[in-house]
Amino acid sequence: MAILEVKHIEKHFGSTKVLNDISFSLEKGQALSIIGSSGSGKTTLLRCLNFLERPDGGVICVNGRVIFDAEDKTTQSDKEIRKKRLHFGLVFQNFNLFPQYTALENVTLARELMAKEHGSESKAAIREEGLTLLKQMGLADRANHYPHQLSGGQQQRVAIARALAMKPDILCFDEPTSALDPELTGEVLRVIRELAKQKTTMIIVTHEMAFARDVADQVIFMDDGVIVEQGDPRQVIEHPAQERTRQFLARYSQEE
Amino acid sequence: MLLDVTLSLLEGFGVTVQMFVLTLVFALPLGLIISFGSMSRFAPLRRLIQGFVWIVRGSPLMLQVLIIFYGPGLLFGLPLLPRFTAALLAFVINYACYFSEIYRGGIQSVPRGQYEAGQVLGMTKPQIFFKITLLQVIKRIIPPMGNEWITLVKDTALVRVISVYEIIWMGESYIKKGMIWPLFYTMVFYLAFNGILTIFFGWLEKKMDYFK
Repeated sequence: MAILEVKHIEKHFGSTKVLNDISFSLEKGQALSIIGSSGSGKTTLLRCLNFLERPDGGVICVNGRVIFDAEDKTTQSDKEIRKKRLHFGLVFQNFNLFPQYTALENVTLARELMAKEHGSESKAAIREEGLTLLKQMGLADRANHYPHQLSGGQQQRVAIARALAMKPDILCFDEPTSALDPELTGEVLRVIRELAKQKTTMIIVTHEMAFARDVADQVIFMDDGVIVEQGDPRQVIEHPAQERTRQFLARYSQEE
Repeated sequence: MLLDVTLSLLEGFGVTVQMFVLTLVFALPLGLIISFGSMSRFAPLRRLIQGFVWIVRGSPLMLQVLIIFYGPGLLFGLPLLPRFTAALLAFVINYACYFSEIYRGGIQSVPRGQYEAGQVLGMTKPQIFFKITLLQVIKRIIPPMGNEWITLVKDTALVRVISVYEIIWMGESYIKKGMIWPLFYTMVFYLAFNGILTIFFGWLEKKMDYFK
């Protein structure tokens, strides 16, 4: 059974339709890449999954359970949304680390707040787990550094650890390397590759075509708020069936 | 003589310090409320508050002190407020408006991404405010707040327009006796007070220096 099913998602900003009848599904342990030019709706789609935007239409199911239905207001109260958004993690383009907290505190803060509410875990256990995650990101020696003392690549890896700390079912990346200097993208992509190897379920919005092709089990090409083409990454990126996909990829390889 | 002058200046300085402290006690929280109003999504309230802030910030504090002291009596036949209370009321309203703009700037300068990062980690709105935004806002408003507090110390001299006897008034009373040095002496009080404030704000800024 698919871990994520997205059915007929619609989103308008005023009179502009940014997402139009978006449907796809994702199997547990798979990675999905979403490619497309700026303004194609990729980021909005990711933000809808994380409830930073409220879709105007459509249904989102996780593990076969409806977690959002545009027709059903009971799925849309702040409290419900807050619980359900934890199915998803989000890594932002600009990291958005909390500047006043160390790398480790960034990773553990939300978990500690949650433990305070439910009294489930000890602070020490959360801390231990945070350290393990940072180690996994190759940042064991940076645990007590503040974000401004870290490079962009290190900050983004802390952000990935922070998202993983909440144990999301699906981890989303919104152009995770777009804000990085070229020489720093490698270390972030390596970490994401490693996560793919460990069968982390992921959705990655990216401009790195080679990366999308290599790491993903499935690729979606979006243009103008619709899914133009989806399927096997090699198929879509190397032998696109649609003219629009071909044009995008041609323009893209020219820029590179 | 020196002792006499010192005692009488201290008496005036007491009024100055009271005005300073009480203005802060009331204007700091009131300013926060006004800043929320000026950021309200309800447009009529927002415009009303912004208009009010514009009037208060755009006209002299001395004029506001005079209006609040004499206005209610001359316009509506109400009894006069005690002088100190009237002056304090004018100061609180005036400074609350200035503070509200400082708060607004501080709150709006926290990037949207900070709220969103908190949201996707499942934090509640109060958690996001207290655990993420608040300290960043405080860090950003320390420098303008420092300026505003120092201005307030000096502005307290204005209360004399409705005959509240603050320190300069006391110093000036010696001119009749042909003495100018008490006036210079008042300056020492101001400089010492503002010196302490400067050190305090410098210390605060340094304390917040560990993050950017």
